[in-house]
Amino acid sequence: MRPADLRRRTAFRLALGVTLFVLTALVLASTIGYSLLRQQLVARQDARVTELFTALQETAQSGDQTDLIEAVTTRIKASPSRTTVYFLRGPEGKVLASNIPDMWFKPGWSTVEAASLHVATDYPYRIYAGSVGVYALVVGLTDADLDDLAEISRSAFAWSALGVLITAVAAGAVIAARIQTRIDSVEATLHRVAQGDLTARLSVSSKGDDLDQIFSAINHALDRLGGLVEAMRQVSADIAHDLRTPLNRLRIHIEAAAEAEAKGLPTGGDLAAALAESDAIGQAFSALLRIAQIEAGSARQKFTPLDLSALMETVAEVYADVAEDASMTLTFHTPGPAFIEGDKDLLTQAFANLIENALRHCPPGTEIACDVSVTDTGAEAIIRDSGPGIPEAERDNVLRRLYRLEKSRTTEGFGLGLALVKAVADVHDARLTLAEAHPGLRISLNFARLSRTA
Amino acid sequence: MRLLLIEDDTAVSAYVARGLTEAGHVCDVLADGQDGLFQAMREAYDVVVVDRMLPGLDGLSLVRAFRAAGGRAPVLFLTALGGIDDRVEGLEAGADDYLTKPFAFAELMARVNALARRPPVQEVQTVLRVADLELDMMRREARRAGQVIDLLPKEFTLLEVLMRNAGRVVTRTMLLERVWDFHFDPQTSVVETHISRLRAKIDKPFDVALLQTVKNAGYMLHAPR
Repeated sequence: MRPADLRRRTAFRLALGVTLFVLTALVLASTIGYSLLRQQLVARQDARVTELFTALQETAQSGDQTDLIEAVTTRIKASPSRTTVYFLRGPEGKVLASNIPDMWFKPGWSTVEAASLHVATDYPYRIYAGSVGVYALVVGLTDADLDDLAEISRSAFAWSALGVLITAVAAGAVIAARIQTRIDSVEATLHRVAQGDLTARLSVSSKGDDLDQIFSAINHALDRLGGLVEAMRQVSADIAHDLRTPLNRLRIHIEAAAEAEAKGLPTGGDLAAALAESDAIGQAFSALLRIAQIEAGSARQKFTPLDLSALMETVAEVYADVAEDASMTLTFHTPGPAFIEGDKDLLTQAFANLIENALRHCPPGTEIACDVSVTDTGAEAIIRDSGPGIPEAERDNVLRRLYRLEKSRTTEGFGLGLALVKAVADVHDARLTLAEAHPGLRISLNFARLSRTA
Repeated sequence: MRLLLIEDDTAVSAYVARGLTEAGHVCDVLADGQDGLFQAMREAYDVVVVDRMLPGLDGLSLVRAFRAAGGRAPVLFLTALGGIDDRVEGLEAGADDYLTKPFAFAELMARVNALARRPPVQEVQTVLRVADLELDMMRREARRAGQVIDLLPKEFTLLEVLMRNAGRVVTRTMLLERVWDFHFDPQTSVVETHISRLRAKIDKPFDVALLQTVKNAGYMLHAPR
């Protein structure tokens, strides 16, 4: 992996992000901790100064002037490096005991620079000035201890930050590497798919984590894609195969016409047959194209509310006379209007195809019944005939493009009528059901009904 | 009749032009969309036939530009796509009729004839007449030799389409579109059945048959010569 690539890797960016986040959190926590600690230390320093002052005050109350001077002097001696400073002034203004120069101190609490006390240190002093009976007493304590503590906490922060940084980077790198491995495998697999190998699948681990779920979904999509491509290949092969027969017939008619022409015989019959054959091929192609266009689903954008009953009645009316001429009967029944969302042209053709199938494949005397039935949420269009029906095992097959039942091989047509009905049903989200009608075939289309207010 | 054919497939244009010339019409052929639009604007044609796929300027844009520029000649739109949307798109662009490839010459001729002699919109005829057959549009009533003929609503529409095109061939496809609003080719004899029913009512009881079948083309209603 080149460093330039590294920045574009999701896993690496994630690890980096987490590390930065942890560091920021640490800085924030340390800052708060440090300031709390410092506050505490300042309070304790003040308490210590107060303690020293109170002790001397007590000495003054219980003894005389000599006792007080002695107590202060003892304390001064105990602090040779002047970490603690004292200053005692008598009632006449005379300095009685001190380890700092004679100067004026602000009564109460104050912070004074070491330089003004003539002490050679960088740290300022915390000073309390007050009166003990007739004496003025000043007690001060250097900030050096305070600063040492701050120093300790600062270095503690630095070390822990370094530790966290190393841990986070290491953990991030491990996690990133593991995710990267899986992402790389996806990349490799999808590359194989792009190369045309639709059998390539991602390996799903037994952990069942979120990546596994995504991988399963991708595998599922690949299964479906593979199935569709296979189906498409099949359809293309079927088209090529099924159209070879009529193309061959077309060729035979043209050859026959050419031969007749050479012999000076009339060619009209052969040419008319050739024309009819080419018309049939043209129709098959236009039906295939139409199915493909319907499946593409663009028709959905032009759906309008329409009355299924009225539409079916119109189609039934058109074919009633055709049925009568074929010695069949065609009836239509509806309980009333049934509004659905749909494309009028497509539905008209679908119902016409179903009725025409019954007309073409059933013997004289067949009864064809077209019905609309309505429930609260659905509207069903039913076309039932009392003809030979379709064997149960074949009912799914007949919805396929170019599929024809063995017994209907001899009748004209390409086996596209029901495939178109299926495509129309699918684009309308309607359920297409083929069932036994005892005797005959019952085909129904279940649509979602538009509510009355719509 | 003077026609302009804008079509880049030379096999199709030569075939159509020959047929039209043989039928006694004058036919100009152009293969490029831009040239076609220019020519259509420059000359007054009775009908302009436009292919959907053209070099230079596609058929839809050509028709739109022609209409936007005030072109009034009827336009017949040719489409090879046979699709669901193409018909609507063509008509919305301003074409008056459409025809799907592959087509029979008779079909093209019938549609061109119907377009060329389409009466101006403002002339609404309330009573159509062919010989002694009358169709009263106001009263929705058909009469022949003064005798009222009882027609079903679709039969009335069928007769109306035939009478409006009296003397001209109306093809099966034209009838399917105009009478039943079917935009596909039925595999059964829908048109034949309804024509024969109509014939039984308007011709059978009378001496002279007005409704003729034109072989390989369609039907024609005309007064005996």
